[in-house]
Amino acid sequence: MNFWEKVTGSDLTRDWKAFGARVEALPDDYQEAWNQIIAHLFPYGDFTGRNLTPILDSALGLLEVSAADGQSVHEVLGDDIQGFCTALAGAAGARAQRDRWREQLNRTVARKLSRLGG
Amino acid sequence: MDDLTEMLKGTLEGCVLEIIGSEETYGYAITRRLNELGFADVIEGTVYTILLRLERNGLVQVTKRPSEVGPPRKFYALNDAGREELAKFWAKWQYLSSRIDRLREGGR
Repeated sequence: MNFWEKVTGSDLTRDWKAFGARVEALPDDYQEAWNQIIAHLFPYGDFTGRNLTPILDSALGLLEVSAADGQSVHEVLGDDIQGFCTALAGAAGARAQRDRWREQLNRTVARKLSRLGG
Repeated sequence: MDDLTEMLKGTLEGCVLEIIGSEETYGYAITRRLNELGFADVIEGTVYTILLRLERNGLVQVTKRPSEVGPPRKFYALNDAGREELAKFWAKWQYLSSRIDRLREGGR
């Protein structure tokens, strides 16, 4: 990512366009699963969502290979797409918004407490 | 056997390491192997997330190979760190299973 891309987000637009083209080549049930994956991974995104790009890329790769094998999406992901996404995001080192809130809360409380003590 | 998933969770990573250790292989083949062993609940998505973790922890060597159908596949082989991890897994497994067996036999 260069400076221009960072400012305009043009790399993101380009990546998402590329994702879209790949998703359209998938069977319908896979496309449905993809939409669910996006929805479940969304909370793990940072401000721009740029950190999600490699995660989504790897998930899409799995879908593509499995679809080419002729597996049903259910065989691949089972019933728990949310669980899959949690594991996927964890494995890629993404952190949920909730983790950041928790951290922020901890910091604030610690600061207030230290002020009280002083 | 149903509902093995919870008990399997901690050991699945070791099982995947063992399968990769015996020969270079890819995600779907690993899932099939586990299913054949009787772990019917294990799905590809689960194996996939384990593989990502192994990759991130630097335990496997990944090679992309073209496949006859569709996009290239990732093949996994153990590196030295992976073999070390696998040996540790079997040591821990040995410990755990011997203690649990002893518990069941009521001895000490």
